[in-house]
This record gives sequence, C-alpha cells and structure tokens, in this order.
Amino acid sequence: MTQLILYNVFNGLIIGAFYALMALGLSLILNLSGVINFAHGGFLAVGGYLAFTLEPYIGFWGGLLLSPFLTAAIGLIIERLLIRRLYGRDPLYSLLLTFGLAFMFEDGTRFIWGPATLPFTVPDWLSSPLSGQFFFLTGYRLFMVLLVTATVIALFVILSRTRVGMRIRAGTLDLETVSVLGVNVRILRNINFGLGIYLAGLAGVLAAGMLGLQPTIGSDLIMPSFVAIIIGGLGSLPGTLLGGLLIGVASGVTSVFFPSASEAVIYVMMGLVLLVRPRGLLGEEGRF
Amino acid sequence: MVRLDKPAEESAQSEAPALPVPGFRIDKRAADAIVWLLLLTMPFWLNWIGGYTQLGTRVVILALAAMSLNFLLGYTGVLSFGHAAYFGLGGYGVGLTLKYLVPNTLVGMGVGIVAAIVAAAIIGALIVRLRGIYFAMVTIAFGQVFYFIAYRWNNVTGGDDGLSGWHRLPINLGFTQIDILHNKLAFYYVVLFCFAVSVGIMALLLRSPFGRTLLAIRENERRARFLGIPVDRHIWLSWLISCTFCSLAGTLYALLNNFSDPHDLHWEQSGNFVIMAVLGGMRSFWGPLIGAGIFIVLEDYISSRTENWESFIGLFFVLVVLFFPRGVLGVIRRRTTQ
Amino acid sequence: MSLLQVENVSKRFGDLVAVDGVSMTVETGELRAVIGPNGAGKTTFFNLISGFLTPSSGRIIFDGEDVTKLLPAWRVWRGIARTFQITEVFPELTTRENLRIAVEVASGYRLKTWLSRDADGEVRARVTDLLDMGGLADKADRLVGEMSHGDQRATEIMMALALKPRLLLLDEPTAGMGDQETYDITQLIRKLHRDQNQTIVLIEHDMRVVFHLADRIMVLAEGAMLAEGTPNEIAKDDAVQAAYLGKAA
Repeated sequence: MTQLILYNVFNGLIIGAFYALMALGLSLILNLSGVINFAHGGFLAVGGYLAFTLEPYIGFWGGLLLSPFLTAAIGLIIERLLIRRLYGRDPLYSLLLTFGLAFMFEDGTRFIWGPATLPFTVPDWLSSPLSGQFFFLTGYRLFMVLLVTATVIALFVILSRTRVGMRIRAGTLDLETVSVLGVNVRILRNINFGLGIYLAGLAGVLAAGMLGLQPTIGSDLIMPSFVAIIIGGLGSLPGTLLGGLLIGVASGVTSVFFPSASEAVIYVMMGLVLLVRPRGLLGEEGRF
Repeated sequence: MVRLDKPAEESAQSEAPALPVPGFRIDKRAADAIVWLLLLTMPFWLNWIGGYTQLGTRVVILALAAMSLNFLLGYTGVLSFGHAAYFGLGGYGVGLTLKYLVPNTLVGMGVGIVAAIVAAAIIGALIVRLRGIYFAMVTIAFGQVFYFIAYRWNNVTGGDDGLSGWHRLPINLGFTQIDILHNKLAFYYVVLFCFAVSVGIMALLLRSPFGRTLLAIRENERRARFLGIPVDRHIWLSWLISCTFCSLAGTLYALLNNFSDPHDLHWEQSGNFVIMAVLGGMRSFWGPLIGAGIFIVLEDYISSRTENWESFIGLFFVLVVLFFPRGVLGVIRRRTTQ
Repeated sequence: MSLLQVENVSKRFGDLVAVDGVSMTVETGELRAVIGPNGAGKTTFFNLISGFLTPSSGRIIFDGEDVTKLLPAWRVWRGIARTFQITEVFPELTTRENLRIAVEVASGYRLKTWLSRDADGEVRARVTDLLDMGGLADKADRLVGEMSHGDQRATEIMMALALKPRLLLLDEPTAGMGDQETYDITQLIRKLHRDQNQTIVLIEHDMRVVFHLADRIMVLAEGAMLAEGTPNEIAKDDAVQAAYLGKAA
C-alpha cells in the first residue's frame, strides 16, 4: 500500500511537472499579451510529433534539442501573422482564433501522422528501472523530473537576470510604462510568445517519451493547465508552477483511492480555491 | 467587459425612436415578422432547397443555445466559454430520466433543466466576482467537470459512447397527444414552440428595467456600480437565465438525437456556441440565430464531404475572427446607418 | 448635524501616504471646493468618500451614520453620488437611455415601471426633466459616445443627479474643456446649487470656476490639509499663496 501511494505521488509529481511546464508557457503568454492560447496543446503535439519524425535522423537527443526550437519557430510565425492582429481587442477574439487553431493542429497532426498511437522510443539505458523495489522509478522518469526542474530554473533565471526577461516581467506589471520607456512591445510579445511555445514543445517531446503520441495529446493536457493557472493565481509564474504540481499530486493520490474521480478532483480543488481566495493561491489582488 | 472595436447600434431597446435611419422601428418589426415567418414555414422550404427537417430542428435548437449565451455575452458583456456544460446537463438529465426513472418526456426535460439550474447557481456564485479573461478561463475549466463525470461514470452514463438505449416519447397533454417520436414535423413545431417562448421571455427581460441595467453593466461597469446597481448580483442573475435557456436547448437536442452525447458537454461545443453568436452578430438579437444557421449548414456540408472537416471548421473560426468580427448583422447594420 | 463628517482619514499605498489625516465637515446646502497641486491626494480623498477605496484609518460619517466600510452601491443608496475625472457614461446608448437607467435605479425600479403605464410615464417625465435641466433635450437620442466632451460630462452629472443624491461629488467637472464648455458646466453647477439647494463637493483645477462657485474651499498639499476657509480667506492665505497659487499663477 505504501508503495502504491508512493508510486502515485511520484507519478503525480511527474504529471504535475508536465502540467506546470505547459501551464508556465500559457501563463507567460497570458500575462504579457492577455491571450488565452487555446492552441497551446496543439503546439505541444507538434513538438512531440516533430521529435518523432526527426528521431531516425538525429536520434532522441537531437530531437529533444531541436524539436522545441522548431515548434517555437512555428509559434513565432503564427504570432506574427495572426495573433498579433488581435492584441488590444476584446479577449473574445484571440480566444476564438486560438480555439480554431487548436482544431486545425489536432486534425492536421491526425492527417499527417495518422490517428493511431505512435511509440516514441527513448534510449534503452533511460527506460530501465533504477531499482527492483521501486520498479516505477525508471531512468526516463527521473530524467524528466530533472530536466523539467532545470528548465524551470533556467526560465526563472532568464526572467530575473537577462534584459529581455526583465522587460517581460516589467511589461507584465505595467505595459504602458514599459512602452513609454522605449521598449518595442511588439517584439517583446513576439519573443515572449516564442518562449512560451518553446516550453510547450519541450513538454511535447517529454510527454511523447512517456505516453506515446496521439493527436489528442494536446487537448487532453490543456484543461489541467488552465486549472493549474487558476489555482496558482493569474499573473504569478511561481503560482502556476505550484498549481501544476499540486493538481498533479492530487490527481495521483486520488487515483489510488477513487480512480474514477482522478480527473474531477482538480476541478473540485479549483472550486475550493475560488471560494476561499478568488485571486488564486499566489495571485495578486486586483490584477484580474 | 465585452466591447467591439467600434460600437454597433443597440437593437433590443424599447425606445429607440430616432435612430439615424428613419423608420428603423418599422424595419425592425418587419424583420421580426420575416424571421418568424421563415421559422414557421421552414420544414416546407428547407426540403425544397435540399435540406431535411431534422437539419432545421437542429438549427432552431442550437440557435436557442447561442441566443441564450448571447444574453450573457452580447447584452451583459460577460464572456462565458463554458456553456456546453449546461447544454449537456440538460441533455443527460432528460436521457437519464427517460431511461431509468420516468417514461415522460416533459418530466425528463424538467429534470434536465433543474439539474442545470442548480449547477449554474452554485458555479455562478463562485465565479461572479471574476471579470473578463479570468471569467472566461474559469468557465472553460468548470465546464469540463461534467464532461469528466459523464465520461467516467460509465455504467450509468455510457461513458465515452454516450447514453443511448432510450428515445423521446409522445407528449400527453391530457386532451390530446403529440407524437413527437414518429412525426418529425410535430417535433419540429414542439421545438419551435419552446424556442418562441424562451426567446420571447429573453426579449421581454431585455426590454425591462432589469435588461437595461444589464446593458449598463456591459457598457460601463464602474458607472453602473456608482449608480447603485449591485453589479455582481445582476451578473449572477443574467448568468442563471442564460444557462437555464441553454439547458432547455440541451434537452431538446438530446431528444432530437435520442441520445445524450458526451461531446455536448465538451468545451469544443462551448466554442461552437460562441462562434455562432459572433458570426451572426452578438450585438443584435437575431444574430446568433443567423450564426447558428450558417454554422450548422456549413458543418453539415463539410462533414459529409471530407474526413478533415475539423480543420475546415478551425479555419472557419480563424477567418471569422480576422475578417468578420462584427458578424453578419453587425456589418449590415453598419452599412445601413452610415 | 452636518451632512458629511470626514474624521482624520488616511490612505496608504505601501510606503506612499496619499491622504494623511484629513478632516472635513460639509453642511447641507453647501458647495465646497477641494483644490491643490497635482498629486495632492484630491482624487484619492474623493475615492475614500465615495467608497471606491476604503481608508487605512479614520472615519467617514454621512448623516450621522458611519459609512467608512460600506461598498459604493450602499453609499449610493444612502445618498452619495459622484462623477469621475475621466467621464464615465454608457457610450453605446443614447442620452435618454443613459438617464433612464439612472432614474429607474433611483426609483427602486425593477418590475413596476415595466408593468404599469403610470409608473413608466413618471420615469419618462423625470428623464425629460433631467434632459431639459442639463440642456440636453436636443441631443436626447444621440449616442453618448458620439457627443462632445462637454455634453458627455453634462450627461454624467445629470445621471448622478437622477439618483436624487443628498451629496453630489464632482471630480474635476471642467477638466479638458474649452472656455464655452467650461462656462456651460459652471452655470449648470451653479444652477443646481442655487435653485435646488444641492449639496456639492467638487475638485477643480480652474481657479476661476472655484472662486466663482465655492462657498468654502479646502486646500490639500502632499496628502495633508493646508488651509480651509471662504474664497476670500483662501486668496489671502500666505501658506496657500506660497505652496500653490503662486506657482499656478
């Protein structure tokens, strides 16, 4: 029993790390541009499928390295051509546009790669269990946790130490002042969008290694990411991270005792948070 | 608050005698008459131009859902992206009742609507303090709860396959019986009756002082608050009214298909309602009806031609947002007033 | 008893003290002006009275009742109405509709005006009165968002007045207006004050307007009260001259 719970807590943490990685990208875009990117799950799927296609040529590591950048490039183009036109308009329109894009991504991946689940192979030495007793602790899962941790640390370092990162954070707080100070907000939003999509692409490659690839992989993961952002508090990246991990663990633990509620539990959590603290756990007052 | 980039005229006002176009009021009455005439005769001309009666029934039902959503979106200025939850709750309510509890169509509809009202009242109380993009996001997320319940509660709801094995039953009014099961035409008119009653109530509400306070909130929440309007309470009421009529549409939709579909609870369906309202023109009363008509006919056509119809629907969303954000009626009205 | 007693209120935003222990007493029928250089805390002071913000310390008594912690809508029901520095109206509705909403809300409204023709007639008559009083009769059916700044401001004042307030708060009623518009609005305020004995507190930058209208003037500087008195006293006050009028003139 202990082992079962431990397994599920660990599993929940891994899933939570996913949610967090995806939700952080969503949160970045939402905070600076005011756009709820419904197509984020679609970008995640693209990241996974690109790595799958590239693997025969450049291997797992090449795919892991290159695919998120390619996904981000697609993201930059889409931001430049479509989403940029909707800044400053009612959020309704960007929501509908990315909603349409989500349809196109999902159907497009199905068209190109087929509806069946595709296996994405990870190197042998990564996929074997680390110990007999904790059979679930494969090298790949441990590697994932480490990589997500490193990525999150890198993200926070970028945001607090580099010039672009500091501008993104400042723009999140007060876009008008930032633009008055001579920062090109359009370029800033473009870079920020790319950064968010990079995280989605990376999450896609990692998810592919664990779950395999299917066209609905993105739309299955997007809703928990929304919940993670709401629980953590809009406008707060640490909050989003916390929210992602919390709902991951919560649904992991619930699946031990009451498996059929493992999805619904995160929405119950969200309801409770909204009841007690409408701005979310780490959200600032009066921002939304 | 929802705001178009450029203001459109308001249509649902009781007193708009001197709008820029002379005789606008008469035009509006004529438009109302034409809409009702077309709806009343739809089963006859629809078959003639290549449609079929159930398609017309579907248009009317989904138009009711989109118009309910627009009560909130277009007339209160609150963006809900989770109305499928209440649509689907209505559908499952009627399906479960007919299958397991009472073999009576009207009772089933009542159960579905009450279930949706209870859910909307509770969720509404949680979200009513939120605004704009935050409100939209929370409604999307909350919408999924019911989807997962339907999806997971396999032995009762049929899970992913949906709830089948039941069908609508003739409505017994005591003095006469309406055979909505076999007579497609009878069912169409029952649906149209529900539509007319709902739409009539919504129009009356919008013309009332209550409706004007909703417009006030849409136009300028701060001003509304400092006029002494309890804004949160009004938004909650508007949300509840909107969800109630949407759930009625949901019960009718399940009855039409003799099937409760988990997809009706999914956020994709919520998005469809929003695009119908936007496509037709969310600042006009009949806009969502026109949007629903275009959307459903298009979907019906594309899905019969290609397997990749989802891509085309997605592209359609993108095109509407980029080139047609004011909707059909928004564009027409702008032309006539300038 | 005084209509409004503000007792030693302060408002802090983090380290910044926007309003610092200000007191003010306004009698029924008085027209009080609040003046001061930019950043003196005038608008924050107003926001505390109208309930847009709650004070960090101090009390606000309206007609003998402590309203310090009440929400805006509740203060409106007790008789405090306000306008904003940046005009707040319903831009996509006509002037008549703007006023009608305010009248309906003020009449306890809801279903009665909808169901009864008499009640509806009363509302319409009141709207017409307000349109006439504000000089807006010929613009009744234009969209407010398309009207001039001055007419929008007049609409906003008439909306506040539709609530039959016992205290009317006007935040810079002539801000951003030309000479003619300033004159019209000043005449309107004067008329309300003289003819209807309306109690008014206003913030104003334009000294001509202030000295023309006010019974008493309060001067704020850096969040604190610098002086208070009749227009004559204020004009002669050395501290005010030094801190404010000297620079402005």
